Amino acid sequence: MLGYYVRLAAISIRENAVMSLLMITAVAVGIGTCMTIVTVNYIMAKDPIPQKSEVLYAVQLDSWNPNDAFRDDGSPPDQLTYTDALALMDARSAFRQTAMVGTSLIVQPDDPDSKPFQASGRAAYADFFAMFDTPFLFGSGWDADADRRLEQVVVLSREMNDRLFGGENSVGENITLGSYDYRVVGVLDTWQPMPKFYDVTTGPFDKTEDVFVPFSLVASLQLPRNGNTNCWKPVDGDGYEAFLASECIWIQFWAELRNDAEKREYLAFLDNYVNDQKSLGRFARPLNNRVNDVNEWMDVMRVVDSNATMMLPVSIMFLTVCLLNTIGLLLAKFLGKAPEIALRRALGASKRALFVQYLVESGCIGVAGGVVGVVLTWLGLRGIEALFGDLVENLVQLDLVMVTAAVVLAIVSSMAAGLYPTWRACNIEPAAQLKSQ
Amino acid sequence: MLSMKNVSRIYRTDVVQTHALRNLSLEVEAGEFVALVGPSGSGKTTFLNIAGLLETFDDGSYQLDGRDVAGLNDNDRSRLRNEKIGFIFQSFNLIPELNIADNIDVPLRYRGFAARERKRRVDRVLEVVGLGGRKKHLPSQLSGGQQQRVAIARALAGDPGFLLADEPTGNLDSSTAAGVMELINEIHRNGATIIMVTHDLELAARAERIVRLSDGQVVLLDEGGEGSELENGAAV
Amino acid sequence: MEIGPILRAMTRNKIGAILIALQIAFTMTVVVNAYFMIEERMRLMERPSGVVEDQLFHISTRGFTPDFNGKVSVQDDLALLRQTPGIVDAVAINAIPLSGGGWSMSLQVEPGDGEQGHGVAIYMVDDHGLDTLGVELIAGRDFTPADVRERGPATSDWPDKAIISEATVKALWADANPLEVVGRTAYINDDEPVTIIGVVEKLQAPWNGWTTVEQSMLVPDKLIWTGVRYMVRTEPGRRDEMMPIVEELLARSNNQRIVRAPESMAETRARSYALDSGLAKILGVIMAMLVSITSLGIVGLASFSVRRRTKQIGIRRALGAKKRDILRYFLVENFMITTLGVVLGAVMTVGFNVWLVQALNFPKIDWLYVPIGMLALWLIGIIAVLGPARRATAVPPAVATRTV
Ligand SMILES: Nc1ncnc2c1ncn2[C@@H]1O[C@H](COP(=O)(O)OP(=O)(O)OP(=O)(O)O)[C@@H](O)[C@H]1O
Ligand SMILES: [Mg+2]
Repeated sequence: MLGYYVRLAAISIRENAVMSLLMITAVAVGIGTCMTIVTVNYIMAKDPIPQKSEVLYAVQLDSWNPNDAFRDDGSPPDQLTYTDALALMDARSAFRQTAMVGTSLIVQPDDPDSKPFQASGRAAYADFFAMFDTPFLFGSGWDADADRRLEQVVVLSREMNDRLFGGENSVGENITLGSYDYRVVGVLDTWQPMPKFYDVTTGPFDKTEDVFVPFSLVASLQLPRNGNTNCWKPVDGDGYEAFLASECIWIQFWAELRNDAEKREYLAFLDNYVNDQKSLGRFARPLNNRVNDVNEWMDVMRVVDSNATMMLPVSIMFLTVCLLNTIGLLLAKFLGKAPEIALRRALGASKRALFVQYLVESGCIGVAGGVVGVVLTWLGLRGIEALFGDLVENLVQLDLVMVTAAVVLAIVSSMAAGLYPTWRACNIEPAAQLKSQ
Repeated sequence: MLSMKNVSRIYRTDVVQTHALRNLSLEVEAGEFVALVGPSGSGKTTFLNIAGLLETFDDGSYQLDGRDVAGLNDNDRSRLRNEKIGFIFQSFNLIPELNIADNIDVPLRYRGFAARERKRRVDRVLEVVGLGGRKKHLPSQLSGGQQQRVAIARALAGDPGFLLADEPTGNLDSSTAAGVMELINEIHRNGATIIMVTHDLELAARAERIVRLSDGQVVLLDEGGEGSELENGAAV
Repeated sequence: MEIGPILRAMTRNKIGAILIALQIAFTMTVVVNAYFMIEERMRLMERPSGVVEDQLFHISTRGFTPDFNGKVSVQDDLALLRQTPGIVDAVAINAIPLSGGGWSMSLQVEPGDGEQGHGVAIYMVDDHGLDTLGVELIAGRDFTPADVRERGPATSDWPDKAIISEATVKALWADANPLEVVGRTAYINDDEPVTIIGVVEKLQAPWNGWTTVEQSMLVPDKLIWTGVRYMVRTEPGRRDEMMPIVEELLARSNNQRIVRAPESMAETRARSYALDSGLAKILGVIMAMLVSITSLGIVGLASFSVRRRTKQIGIRRALGAKKRDILRYFLVENFMITTLGVVLGAVMTVGFNVWLVQALNFPKIDWLYVPIGMLALWLIGIIAVLGPARRATAVPPAVATRTV
C-alpha cells in the first residue's frame, strides 16, 4: 500500500513540478540557513570540558580602582595582578591551581638552514595539565619542583612536535626558545577545547598554544606577554620589577575545587587573603571575590559573540518563513484537490487512508528538503569560513550531533508543515464539496 | 431584441474541428419567451453563450437590441452582459465562498450602484424569490431549489431586459422545478425577453415559441404549440 | 471597492490569508532589521582612519639573541628604510590604526587621581610620525628632533609634549577651537603634565569598536625595543611592490631577529572589519533569499487560488465583470492580506529591535525604516500577485456554462 502512496505522491509532485520545487527549496534553504547559524552558536556555547567543567573555577579578586568599578555592573576584574597570583600559588589552598599568561617565543631550530620563527606559548604551573585533562602523546607535564627551581622545561603541541621533530618522541631533547635552551618533557596530542575556555580574554576560539613553559620563567627570563594588560594605577618606578609589583592585571587564575565544601573554603581563603592585603593598604574596594565554574565563566566573559546571538532569532524567523511558505503551498495544493478528495471519499477511501496518502506526499517533500538542507548547511559553513577566514576556523565544524540535529529538524519541521494541510485535506466533507459544485 | 443571421461557431482542438453552430439564423422579439430544445450536443449552450456575449462567433452577424455586437471589445461586452442580460445556469453557479446577499450583490457592484441602492435591490429580489430570511447563508447551506432561486434573484437584481437560462430546472425535482418555472413565467409577464434551454418538453410548452436545434442548426419553430412550421437552416 | 465581500470570503479561508500575512510579517521583521544593521555596519566601515591607507604598510621584527641591541637596530632600520627609493618615510610605532592591538591611557584636564579621565589611544612616534602616517596637522606644530626622546622597555613615564586628534580636543575641552588649545596642558597618569603642541584633524585609535575611537594622541617617543613595528609610507601606487622588497631588506640587514610578513593598511582594514563586512554579506544574502521565497510563495499561493477559483472568475465575468474588475479583485485581496502582514510586521520589527537593543546592545532602529519597510513589502506583495492576477483575467466567461 505504501508503494501505491509513494507512486501517487510522485505523480502529484511531478504534476506541480514548479510548486514542488519551490517547496523543497524553501524547506532546504530554511534548514540550511538555520542549521548553519545554530552550528556556529552551538560551538560557541558548547561546554568545552564537560567532564570537569563543574570543578574548574576561574578566580576573580577585586583589586581594582577604589573610585571606579572594573565593569559597570560592578563585577571584579577578569585577571589578577602578579602579586596576587603568586600569593595564591604560594598558599596552594585549592586541590589544584594554576596562574597563567599567554606569551610568544622565538623558536630557533637546530638546523641552521631553517629560519627562526615565532611560536605562541603559554606560561603556566605544573597543575595546568592535570587540571585541564590535556591528552599526552609522549611524556607528561613538568612537576611542581620544576616550577620552584625555574627549570627550563617545555611541553610541545603535537603540531610543533611534528614541525620540529617530524612527529618522533622528542621527550628529553633540547630546543632553543628565545636563545635559551629548554628540555622537552612532554608532547600533547591534538587538543583544541572549544571555546578555548582557560583563556578567553583574547580570541576565545583561537588555536591552543604551540609551547607550554613554567610560569616562573615569565619573571626570570622576562618572557613577553601576549594578551591584555590593564592598569588602573600608574606603575611605580621603572623597569620590569616595578611592572611586576604594580597593580596591573594580566594573569588568568584557575582553581580546581572538587566539591561545595572546597569551594566554600576557597572563597573563605580568598576573603581572608584580601582582608590581609587591605591592612597593607591594597584592595580599597569592598570585598568582591568570585569563583565561576567553566560554564559560568563563559557567560561572564560573553564568549558567545553578540552577532551570533543576533543571527539565531534571524535564522529561526527565516526557517519559519520557509515553513509557512511550504504549509501555505501544500494547503493550497491539497485544497485544490478537494473534488478529487471528495470523489475518493465517495468511492470509499477512509480518512486514515487519505491521511497516509497526503502525509506520504508532504513527507517526501520534507525528506528531499531535509537532505538538500544538510548539504546546504555544510555549504553554509564553508561560506562562513570563506567570509571570515581564520576568525572562525574552529567554529564551522559540522559534527555528528549537528548533522543528526539537521536531519531531525528537517524531518520534524517538514512533517509539521505537512501535517496541517494533510489534516485539512482529509477533513474535506465529500457532501459539501459535491453540493457546492 | 435578438437577431442572428448565419452565425457559425467552430471549436478547434488539436485533433478535431466541431461545428457547434452552422449558419444559424434566429429572430427573437422583445418580450418574447422562447424555449430552446434539441438533442445533447446540438449546440444549445453554444447558442446561449453567443447570445449572452459569453463567447464570440466565427461567422455571420448578431444584433442585440438593434446593435451589432461583432465589433464590441471585451469591456463593452462585459458592460452589456452586466446591464442587459441575466443568466440562470443549470448548476446554479453561486460563488461558494460568498453568502447569499453577497452573491446577489456581485453584478450590482460591477454595475457601479451605490451601497444603498444595492441593498434595496438585494432585499427586493430576495423577497421575490421568497428567501428574505436567508441573506447570511452560504450556498452550501441551501437546497438545490433554493440555490437556483438565489441564482434567479441574482439574474433579476440588475433588472435585465433579457434573461438566458440553460436548463434552469435540470438539477431539480419536478415540484421544485415547477416553482422555478413559475418564477420565470412571472419575470416574463413583467416584460422580460427570455430564452430558456430545456430538455423537458412539458416546460418548453409553457413558452410562447419553441425552437429546436439539431447539429448546430434550427430545425423547427413551434409557435406556442399552435402547430408547427418547418424552416430549413441554410445549406452546409 | 468590494472590500466587504472580499473580507467575508477571506474569513472563510482564514488560514491561507494568515499564512501569507505571517510570512510577510516575519520577512519584514528580518529584512528591515537586517537592512538597518547592514547600513549601520557600512557606516562604520566607511569611517576613514585618518592615515593615508593606500600608501601605508607595516612590518614587525623581533630580535631573539640576548645581546640584541634594539636601539642600534631601530636606528639602522629607519636609516635604511628612509633612504630606500620608493619609500616616502618610515617610523617605528607602537600600534597600528584599525589593528585591534594598542595602548590607551587616560588624559585629564586637571591633575589628581579623582579627576575625570578621557581614554585616548597612544601612538609613539618620532619626528617622522606625522609625515609617515600622512595625518593632517590643523593647529600647532609637528615634533622636532629635539622633542623626541627614547623609550625602552623599562620606561614608564611620559614625554612632556603631545599632538592630539581634534576629537580629543573636543573630549577634553568641549567646544574649544583646535587653535586655542595649542600650548594648554593635559595630565596623563593622574598628574604628569603634557603640553599640547599640535592638533591633527583625524587619527583613529586601533580599536574600531571603541566608542571613543576618534580619540588619540601622538607622543614623541622613539621606540628602542627589541621587538618593534615599522609603519612605512611608499610613493603613491608603489605599496604592493615595496612590501616584499622591504621584508627582504630587513631580513638581510640583521639575522639576529625574525621579520614578520608585512601587512598593508588595506589588509589591516579588511581584517579589522572582517566581522562587519562578513555579517553584512550574510544578512544581505538572507534578505535576498527571504524576499524571493516570500514573493515566490505569494505567486504560488495566488496561482493556486486563481486555479481553484477559475469557475468563480468565469461566473463573475458572465455577470458582467470586466477584466480589470477581476485584476482588481485579486490585487485588493492581496493588498488586504499584505496590509495585515505589514502591520503585524511593523510591530514585530520594532519588537525585535527592542530585544536587540536590550539584550545585545545593538543600535536602536530609526523609526523611518518601519514605514519604508512596510511600503517595500506592500510593493513586493503587489508585484508578486500581478502575474497570477493577470492570468485570472484571461479566464473566459464561457467557463461559467462549460465547467462542471
Ligand atoms: N470548448 C469546446 N471545445 C471543443 N468542442 C466544444 C467546446 N464546447 C462545445 N463543444 C462541442 O460543440 C458541440 C455543441 O456543444 P453544446 O454545449 O452547445 O451542446 P448542447 O446542445 O448544450 O448539449 P447538452 O444538451 O448536452 O448540454 C458539441 O459537440 C461539443 O462537443
Ligand atoms: Mg448544454
